[in-house]
Amino acid sequence: MTVQTAAPRPAPPTPPGGPAGRAPGRPSPAARLVAVLRGGLVQVLLTVVALVWLTPTAGLFVSSLRDADDNAGSGWWSALVHPGSLTFDNYSAILGDSGITQAFWNTVLISVPATAAVVVLAALAGYAFAWLEFPGRDWVFLVVVGMLVVPVQIGLLPVARLFGAVGLFGTTAGVVLFHVAYGLPFAIFLLRNYFAEIPREMLEAARMDGGSEWTIFRKLVLPVGRPAIASLAIFQFLWVWNDMLVALIFAGSDAQPLTVALQSQMRQFGANIDVLAPGAFLSLIVPLAVFFAFQRHFVEGVMAGSVK
Amino acid sequence: MKRTLVAATALCGLALATTACGGDTKTASDSGPAAGGQKLKGQTVTVAAVWTGVEQENFQKVLDGFTAKTGAKVAYVSTGDNFATVLGSKIEGGDSPDVAMVPQPGVLKEFAGKGWLQPLSPDVKGTAEKNYAKIWQTFGTVDGTYYGLYFKTSDKSTVWYSPQALETAGVQPPKTFAEMLDAARAVSDSGLPAFAVGGADGWTLTDWFENVYLSQAGPENYDKLTRHEIPWSDPTVVKALTTLSQLFGEDDLLAGGRKGALATSFPDSVAHVFGKSPKAGLVYEGDFVGGVISGDLGGKVGEDAKFFPFPSVDGGPAPVVGGGEAAVALKSGKNAKAAMELIAYLATPEAAGIWAKAGGFLSPNTKLDPASYADDTLRTAAKSLVDAGDTVRFDMSDQTPPAFGGTPGKGEWKILQDFLRDPSDPKATAAKLEAAAAKAYKG
Amino acid sequence: MSALTRNKVPSAPAGGTAPAAVRRRSRRARVTAIAFALPALALLGALVGYPILFSVGRSLFDASGDRFVGLDNYQEMFTDPASLKAVRNTAIWVVAAPAVLTGVGLVLAVLTEKIRWATAFKLLIFMPMAVSFLAAGITFRLVYDQDPQRGVMNAVAVAVHDAFNDSSAYPGARPRGTDVMKESGNGGFQAVAQAEPGKDVTLGLVGLPPASLPQQARPAAPAQVSDDAVTGVVYLDFVPGGGGTPGAVDPQERGLPQMAVELTKGGEVVATTTTGDDGSFRFPDAGDGPYGVRLPPKNFAEPYTGIDWLGPTLVTPAIIGAYLWIWTGFSMVLIGAGLSSLPRETLEAARMDGASEWQIFRRITVPLLAPVLGVVFVTLVINVMKVFDLVYIIAPGPVQEEANVLALQMWLVSFGGGNNQGLGSAIGVVLLLLVLPVMALNIRRFRRSSR
Repeated sequence: MTVQTAAPRPAPPTPPGGPAGRAPGRPSPAARLVAVLRGGLVQVLLTVVALVWLTPTAGLFVSSLRDADDNAGSGWWSALVHPGSLTFDNYSAILGDSGITQAFWNTVLISVPATAAVVVLAALAGYAFAWLEFPGRDWVFLVVVGMLVVPVQIGLLPVARLFGAVGLFGTTAGVVLFHVAYGLPFAIFLLRNYFAEIPREMLEAARMDGGSEWTIFRKLVLPVGRPAIASLAIFQFLWVWNDMLVALIFAGSDAQPLTVALQSQMRQFGANIDVLAPGAFLSLIVPLAVFFAFQRHFVEGVMAGSVK
Repeated sequence: MKRTLVAATALCGLALATTACGGDTKTASDSGPAAGGQKLKGQTVTVAAVWTGVEQENFQKVLDGFTAKTGAKVAYVSTGDNFATVLGSKIEGGDSPDVAMVPQPGVLKEFAGKGWLQPLSPDVKGTAEKNYAKIWQTFGTVDGTYYGLYFKTSDKSTVWYSPQALETAGVQPPKTFAEMLDAARAVSDSGLPAFAVGGADGWTLTDWFENVYLSQAGPENYDKLTRHEIPWSDPTVVKALTTLSQLFGEDDLLAGGRKGALATSFPDSVAHVFGKSPKAGLVYEGDFVGGVISGDLGGKVGEDAKFFPFPSVDGGPAPVVGGGEAAVALKSGKNAKAAMELIAYLATPEAAGIWAKAGGFLSPNTKLDPASYADDTLRTAAKSLVDAGDTVRFDMSDQTPPAFGGTPGKGEWKILQDFLRDPSDPKATAAKLEAAAAKAYKG
Repeated sequence: MSALTRNKVPSAPAGGTAPAAVRRRSRRARVTAIAFALPALALLGALVGYPILFSVGRSLFDASGDRFVGLDNYQEMFTDPASLKAVRNTAIWVVAAPAVLTGVGLVLAVLTEKIRWATAFKLLIFMPMAVSFLAAGITFRLVYDQDPQRGVMNAVAVAVHDAFNDSSAYPGARPRGTDVMKESGNGGFQAVAQAEPGKDVTLGLVGLPPASLPQQARPAAPAQVSDDAVTGVVYLDFVPGGGGTPGAVDPQERGLPQMAVELTKGGEVVATTTTGDDGSFRFPDAGDGPYGVRLPPKNFAEPYTGIDWLGPTLVTPAIIGAYLWIWTGFSMVLIGAGLSSLPRETLEAARMDGASEWQIFRRITVPLLAPVLGVVFVTLVINVMKVFDLVYIIAPGPVQEEANVLALQMWLVSFGGGNNQGLGSAIGVVLLLLVLPVMALNIRRFRRSSR
């Protein structure tokens, strides 16, 4: 991975006098008290921040477990006092709704191919940019670097017309292609830089052994690049999974993913929080699972993707 | 616009205001009674409409009737509220249904203009002439060709009230706008705010305006304004807005005041009146309010909820603003013959009767036996619609360019919401409406 | 911090020694290279490259695409009120959000270094990054809900407010018309007629649900009239089911107990009292009038309903708040990574010299972190310009225009009912122009690092 994570360096030996690390010259009890108090203050402050950060999600989650009447009649926090009224009915209702389950399935049908395609195409191109000679290579790569920050908005209209002309508009394939195209610059950039770190001797040795570029790519480059590919895949997957804008325009009615299906319910917000809350949570489950399962890769991916 | 596809399909975004871009596809069961003729056996007709949920189920019953009669399978596709967008993309994408239930005259006109529609067969036309008032045929006609058969209609001139609230306040259902204001004040004096207004949905406000305008300025001005032959800055518009401000201007008359009204969606506004803990006594919207009451709120229309016709304003005739869905046959469909058969079937009182019995449905079909309706309330609404004959006017905002009359956060919706926030200057509001209209009609 | 600063382009594979073989091999290699890169490049060219050119061209034509209008669309962007609002809001976003985020991230990153549960804390704050804007939007619609029974922000606001203010007994009560009483400012009411000892004051109010009257309320009765006292009655002037005479006390009408009443003379309050269970009040020992009788605002104060978070004025800050919730983790973690790579020796040396934590923070930490802060800031600027979903989801219909940003406006005018692809393309081009400096920066940095 080319990016540094938050792993702290080994801390220098702390002077006696506690982790607050005051100058050893002045270990007066008063100073120590101040330090402890200040440390306590930080603890309290960060605890409050943590609670504030947790509240919105907790609210959504608790709301998703209350029936429509309860949600209309009182705030979700009152359920904390009477947890008996909580129910999974909303979830069974939403899972019984063929529209929502279809949308969930559509999301998978969009995210998985879009992720796989980006990884494959970017790995191929990344290897070419790193280790294969072709005319104008460096210039083309600079253009790709420039494309890193191109906003998707610029592509919406022209690509919609393009897809319309070739019959891709409104199809899952169209949505996937769009995501792949706008995921590629970052993906190529990331993988090319990672592949470039592969020691030259390794590749030369493989070439001397008569391996074709395709074999080298498969047997050597891909395995070595696995960490970067993992970060890329996770990042791209979440990006596509969470997308609404692209799907809103390019997905037809039978191809719409969960985000679009849910936003169409937004109008009657107050009236159908019992659909929106579990729906939103349903859409959260996969990203959160990915997040907790691959924390490190995820953080790295997002950090590396920060230029996007 | 040359590349209509993008324009139309991309409109999916309208979903913000409306419901969904997508929906389920359900095939009518072919296990139904094989009683009637089976002349279309083995064929499949695809129908697209905006309906979802209960309405979809009820329409399905109507379609099942067709299956039983002809043996043809009917596949239903819901477009959600973005009818034009979704259908446009389906037609361009080569996945066109055979029949579509068009919800707005503007769309009917647009589709006809693009040459997407098959004129109705003489057979259907003949049935329609027998069964429908002339005005409903006119609504379905574009440039002299009859394309759309109005199957389902709505009466958007009904003011719903809680009988208990009016009784507590000691007032009777009013006949004039002035009486309605007095009644509203009496209700509000009794400690219950009078009107719930679903101001968060701009279309409820356009409907308010249209009723006042139709009654006060008369049908001719209404038609002219619809076609933008008179500007929105016209004195008649200012006057109608001033009339509305008598209601919107009094915080005490609105549930939650103006601020509350702006934060209230249409379903919430109905729930405010007919829900468990009433926050208001009356709510204005079309006959479909009844569906919300009996469906979502579990109330009994006719007992817990009644309506009176939108009262007359300044001595004009009481307004009847209608809406509805017209069945059209699409040229790009694969099964033209069965499509026309289905439309002919929809023109019969028999088809209308199936949905009428299920509720939440009004038919412009004069041959439909009023006894078919599920309840007295609907029967009354149906009667007023049929009796109004040629004075019925179609919902104006459905006929204007969508950028003006059909887009959340824009045009008429937005400006009337601003007006609800601060109704003190009708003239300025009219000027803003004209500016927005001028732009939309030009584009 | 991004990957682009720290990699070297490998120098081209070394040339061989046997020219013919090499040439053959290099031709084959070239074919292979193109086969490897072509699929990706073709896609990029068709779906990223071509759209840029197309948009630039399309932006010079009108809505229908038939008429060349030059720069009119760009001009309209800055004159049409809705688009102008979007331009302004985007400016607010770009100025406020990245700065606040970088600041908050920096503070949290520094503070987390001092706690043991830093990893858990970072994970928690970072979690919203995994969540879609849609889910975050739904979450925050709930957080900001106007109804204190639903929205947690307003629940807190109301709780705080009510802790410092008493609630009133008769919110919403008001006189019928303005003949008997008039608004006296701040929501109180003033009797129109002047009061004299020996004359009875009858003050009827309406607008209260009869069921909401206090239990002890009894049928209204005026106090005993006497020559040296101002007396009167405050009652609910409403009979369920109608009937009754407005302005007069009817038998079924009940008094309003515990209503504060003020007696004024020349505008000054000279006495106060509260009504009895039958609504009567009495100011004994009043000298000659004329007096005024007033029902002060505290009787009627509407219950506080909280802050209009998603109203026209606060909607943009509110949405930026939701954005902070999502992105703080990002800036905190990036800055935290930078912090952990600072030279400890410098910090320790400063501590030895007796510098305070604040001085260390300001004089050493921040300057050393400047490059990281810069990257975070620039990244956020780019992301903020593209914010779409969050605004679209959180802003309710009536205030969508007030919350509008360029990325949303682009979508609205091209797809969401506007159908003006000319203007839409122009907005897209402007969005692209706004990120051009960053694009140039990226390319320059990359070329420098690969040299």
